[in-house]
Amino acid sequence: MNKYIPVIGLEVHCELKSNSKNFSTAKNDEGEANTNLSVVDIGYPGILPVVNKEAVRKSLMVALALNCEIPKRLSFDRKNYYYPDLPKGYQITQFGNPIGTKGYVMINVDGVEKKITIQDTHLEEDTANMDHLSNYSLIDYNRAGVPLLETVTDPCINSSKEAIAYLEALRNIFLYLGVSDARADLGQIRVDVNVSLKREKDSELGTRVEMKNINSFTTVKEAIDVEIKRQTDILEAGGVIEQETRRYDEVNKCTHFMRGKVDAIDYKYYREPNIPEITLTDNFINSIKKVMPVLEYERKIKYTNEYGISTVDAGTLTKNKKLSDYFEDIISYGASPKDTSNIIVGFLLGYLNKNNKNISDIDITASDFSDIIKMMTDGKISNKQVKDIFTKSLDENINLLEVAKSIGTQISDKEEIRRIINEVFKENTKVIEDYKNGKNVNGFIMGLVMKKTGGKVNPGITNMVLKEELEKL
Amino acid sequence: MTRDRLEILAKKLMFEMNDLEYETLEREFEIILKQMDLIDGIKDIDNVVPMTYPFDLELDDSYLRDDISNNEICFDDMKINVKDYENEKIKVPKVVG
Amino acid sequence: MTNKLIDEIRDALDSRLVTSDELFDESVSKAYKYQDKFNCFVTILDKKKEKKGNTVLQGIPYALKDNISTKGILTTASSNILKDYIPLYDATVYKKLMEAGAVLMGKTVLDELAMGGTGTTGHTGVVRNPWNEKRMIGGSSAGSAAAVALGIVPFALGSDTGDSIRKPAAYGGVVGYKPTYGRISRYGLFAFASSLDHMGLFARSVKDVSYVMDIIKGHDDRDMTSLPDEDISYVDNLDNDVKGKKLFYIKEAVEIDNDSEELKLILDNFYKAIDECKSLGMEVVEVSFRKDLLEAIYPSYMCISCAEATSNNSNLTGIPFGYRVEGNNVNEIMMKTRTEGFSELIKRRFVLGSYVLQKENQEKLFLNACRIRRLIVDNMNELFKEYDALIMPSAGDIAPLFGNVSDKLSDEYLILGNHLAIGNFGGFPSISIPSGFVNDMPVSVNITGRAKEDYLVLNMASKLEEALGFKGQVKVDE
Repeated sequence: MNKYIPVIGLEVHCELKSNSKNFSTAKNDEGEANTNLSVVDIGYPGILPVVNKEAVRKSLMVALALNCEIPKRLSFDRKNYYYPDLPKGYQITQFGNPIGTKGYVMINVDGVEKKITIQDTHLEEDTANMDHLSNYSLIDYNRAGVPLLETVTDPCINSSKEAIAYLEALRNIFLYLGVSDARADLGQIRVDVNVSLKREKDSELGTRVEMKNINSFTTVKEAIDVEIKRQTDILEAGGVIEQETRRYDEVNKCTHFMRGKVDAIDYKYYREPNIPEITLTDNFINSIKKVMPVLEYERKIKYTNEYGISTVDAGTLTKNKKLSDYFEDIISYGASPKDTSNIIVGFLLGYLNKNNKNISDIDITASDFSDIIKMMTDGKISNKQVKDIFTKSLDENINLLEVAKSIGTQISDKEEIRRIINEVFKENTKVIEDYKNGKNVNGFIMGLVMKKTGGKVNPGITNMVLKEELEKL
Repeated sequence: MTRDRLEILAKKLMFEMNDLEYETLEREFEIILKQMDLIDGIKDIDNVVPMTYPFDLELDDSYLRDDISNNEICFDDMKINVKDYENEKIKVPKVVG
Repeated sequence: MTNKLIDEIRDALDSRLVTSDELFDESVSKAYKYQDKFNCFVTILDKKKEKKGNTVLQGIPYALKDNISTKGILTTASSNILKDYIPLYDATVYKKLMEAGAVLMGKTVLDELAMGGTGTTGHTGVVRNPWNEKRMIGGSSAGSAAAVALGIVPFALGSDTGDSIRKPAAYGGVVGYKPTYGRISRYGLFAFASSLDHMGLFARSVKDVSYVMDIIKGHDDRDMTSLPDEDISYVDNLDNDVKGKKLFYIKEAVEIDNDSEELKLILDNFYKAIDECKSLGMEVVEVSFRKDLLEAIYPSYMCISCAEATSNNSNLTGIPFGYRVEGNNVNEIMMKTRTEGFSELIKRRFVLGSYVLQKENQEKLFLNACRIRRLIVDNMNELFKEYDALIMPSAGDIAPLFGNVSDKLSDEYLILGNHLAIGNFGGFPSISIPSGFVNDMPVSVNITGRAKEDYLVLNMASKLEEALGFKGQVKVDE
C-alpha cells in the first residue's frame, strides 16, 4: 500500500470593517436589504472607483502581521466574469501586484511548531448577496463592493488539523488587528480549499481539486478529510485524479463534481485603468506599524518567557483577544501575572463555561481584579477566598471589592490562629490522643481549622502555629 | 481562427450571432491578426513595459479616499430601471450552473 | 443667435437683445427643424432647466453626447441595450455646466456605445453631414459635431477614444478639442476604453472651446485619474505670442504613393496652413518617425480599445438596470438581452477584445499592443523635448460618402487616417481646427501638444485659426 501525503492550500476571504465600501462611499454595513447603495457598486454606466484609504490601511496591517513583503506601489486589476451577483461584470482585485506577498504564519499542532507560508494577500471587493429561492432568486446589493481581503497560502499544509490551526491563527490575526469581526457564521470569513495527494517519495505535487466557499471551520475540516479519502481511494484503485472543482455536501458528508478543467473560466485579468498606481510612502507604512497591536503568537511567547506562565495556560489566555487584553489590563495595575493567570484559567473560565457566559459578559474592572489578586499574593486572602469573592460578585452582580470586604480578609494573626487551633483541640480530644500515639494528624487538623473559619485562615501561618502547639502537648 | 472558437468566445460574452455575422467576423479576424503580426515584427519590444495609463500621475497614499460613508441612492431610485423586484430586492429567475 | 460665437451671444444676453428663454427656444426649434434630415439628437429637451451661475455661459444652450450621464434624462449611448435607461446621477461635466448656468437642450446621437467612426450605427439612425447630406459626419460624436456645424448650439460635448471628436469636427468644419487625459473628469462618461477615453468638446472657435474648458476642467474626487487643478485660465492665454514655437509634422504620414487627387488637395491645404504658422513666427519642421510604429497604431488601438470595451460593457446584462429580455433563467436573460441589445458591429468588437485578452493570447496580442503604445508615446515625448507640438492634417480624406466606408476592418492602411489615436495613447491635448475646403467639403488641421500643456495648444491653435480665417464657421442653411 502506498503512503500518500495530503497537500493542502487555503484561500481565505475576509470582509474588512470600514465606514464606506472599497471603491464607493456607500455604507459598509449589512442593514436592511438594498439600503446601502451607490451607483458605483451597482455598476451603472459611467461610474469610476475611488479607493478607500481605510481598506488599504487595514490590508497593510494584515500584510505586515503576516510578515509579507509590501509593494512600493499599489495597483488593481480586473477579474472578468458574468454572474448576477457581480453587477459590473468584473471584480476589482489585485492579480499581478498584491498588497502583500511571501509571508508566513506560525502555527502549533499538538505542541509542534510549523511555519505556514503565505503566497499573497490581496484587496478586492465583495459581490452582491443572493437568496436562491425554489424557482427564482433575489439580489441585495448591500454587500456589493464591501472591502474583501483574500489571503492565499502556498500548498504547504499537510492535514486537516494543520488547516484548522492555520485558520484559527489567521482569524486571530484579523481579530487582534481589529480589521474584521471575522464571523464565519455571518459569511465574513469564507474559505476555498484545494487538496492534492502526493506519494511519500515523490517531489512532484498531485493534481489538485478545489472546493469553494466553505463558511465554517468545522466544515473545512470535514471537507478536507472526505476529499483526502476520496482521492486516496481513487489512487489506490489505480485511478487518476482529475483537475476539477467540487462542492462539499454537508448533509451527506461527501463532495460532488461541479466543473472540470475544460470548463475553467478564463478571467482575462488586466490592469484596472481607472485606478492609477499609488506609491505607498514609508510614512504611511510606518504610521501603520506604530499602531500595530502585539499579536497572539508574540503574546504567547511573552507570557511563557517573561511571566513564567505554562505554555498551555498562555495558549488559553491568548486564544481569545478579549481575554488576553483583559489579562494585560489587570496586570498593568500591578497584579502578579502568574497569579492572575491562575485565577483566570484555573477558575474564571470554568465559571464562565458553567454559566454559559463569555468574557465580554464580565464587568469587573481590571483595577478591582488586580486589587484582589494583589491581596492573594500578599497572603491577605486565600485562593479559596478569591474564588468565593468572584463567585459571589458574579452570581449576585455585586462589586468585587465590596464582596471582598463582606467576606472578610484572611486571618493571619498568629495569636488569633493559636486561639482557634486550641479551640479545635478542645473540641476534638480523640485527635490529640491519636497524635500522642504517633499518628500524623497535621492535615486532618488543618482541615478542621479551615472548616471552622470558612477557609479564611492563612494556611502557611496556621501550619507553623499548629506545629508549635502540637509540640507543646 | 475557426468558426467554433469564435462561437465559444461569443457565448462566453453572453450573446449569440448569426451565420452572416460570423462570416464577417472571420474575415475581420484574418485582417486584424495579420496586422498584429506586424507588431511581432517590431524590434526591441520584449523589454518594453506594457502601457496602461497615458502617463504616470505620480500619486501617493495621501490621494486615497477618506473613509466617510454616504449612501447616494436608495432602492426607490433604482426602481425606475428595474424590471422586477420583491421585498426591496431585485428579482431574477433561477440561477443555473 | 445660436449660430454665433459665445462672445456675441453673451453680449446679446447682457444687453437684453435676447433672453435665455428665447435662445433655448431657438436652439430647440432648430434642432427639430434639422432632425429629420440630419438626425443630430436622441433627445431634444422641452423644458429649460437653468441655474444662476454668473459665468460667461449663463443662459447659453448646449448639447451633450448621449453617453454622458444626466440624472432623470434618458441616456442611451445610442444602443438598444440602454434605450430606456434613466441615469440616477449626473456626470461631473454636466454638473459643472449646470452650475455655470449653461442650459442643456438635448442629447446627441453617437455611434453605438461610442464604438465606431461613421456616425451610422446609433440605434436611432444615421447622422448626416450638414455640408452634404450624402456624406457622413464621422463619429463617434456624430450628433454633437453636426449640431455645432448646423448652428443649433454654440458648443456641444463629446468623447474621444481614438479620434471621436477630432475627426467628426474635421469632417463637419468645426473646432474639436480633446484635452490632456484627466483634464476633464470622466465621471459619468459611459466607458468605452477607460485608458483612452477623453471627454472633450466641439465649438466654432478656439476661444469658445477655451471658455467651456475653463469651466469644465479640473480635479474631481470621483475620478482618480483626473489631474490636479491648475491655476491658469485658457481664455486669458489665447493671445500669447507664439513666435519661436517649434512644430513638427511626420514625414511618413504625408508621403503619398497613390494618385488620389483629393489627398493631394488636402496636403496642399495643409502646407498652406504650415505657411501661415511660419508667418506667425513659428518654426515648422518635417520629422521622420518609425514607420513600423506608425503602421502599428491602428491594430494596437483596436486591441487595447476592444479589450477594455469588452470589460467595460459587461455591466449591460439587463439585471440591475437597462433593457431586459425575459428568459427561463438568469443566463438566458443575460444571453437574450445582450443578443438583442447589441448590434452586430459591437458584438464583433467584443469578441475581438475578449480574444486578445484571453490567457493564451494576452501576451502576444493585448500586452504587445500596450508595449507598442508605450514605444509610440516614448517617441512622441522624446520629440516633445525639442518641439512644442505636432501639426498634421486632421484626416487623409474629406467626409466619406455613405456606402464607401464601413466599420468593418479593412486591409487598406493610411497613416493619415489613424494618427489622431496617438493623442489618446499618450493623453496629449489635441485640437482640430477648420483650414478650408476640398471639393466643397471642409478640411482641417490638427495640433497635438505635450501632456498637461493644454493652454499652449489652445494658444497656438487660436493664433493659427485667426490666420486661417475660418473662425466661427457654420453651415448656414437659410
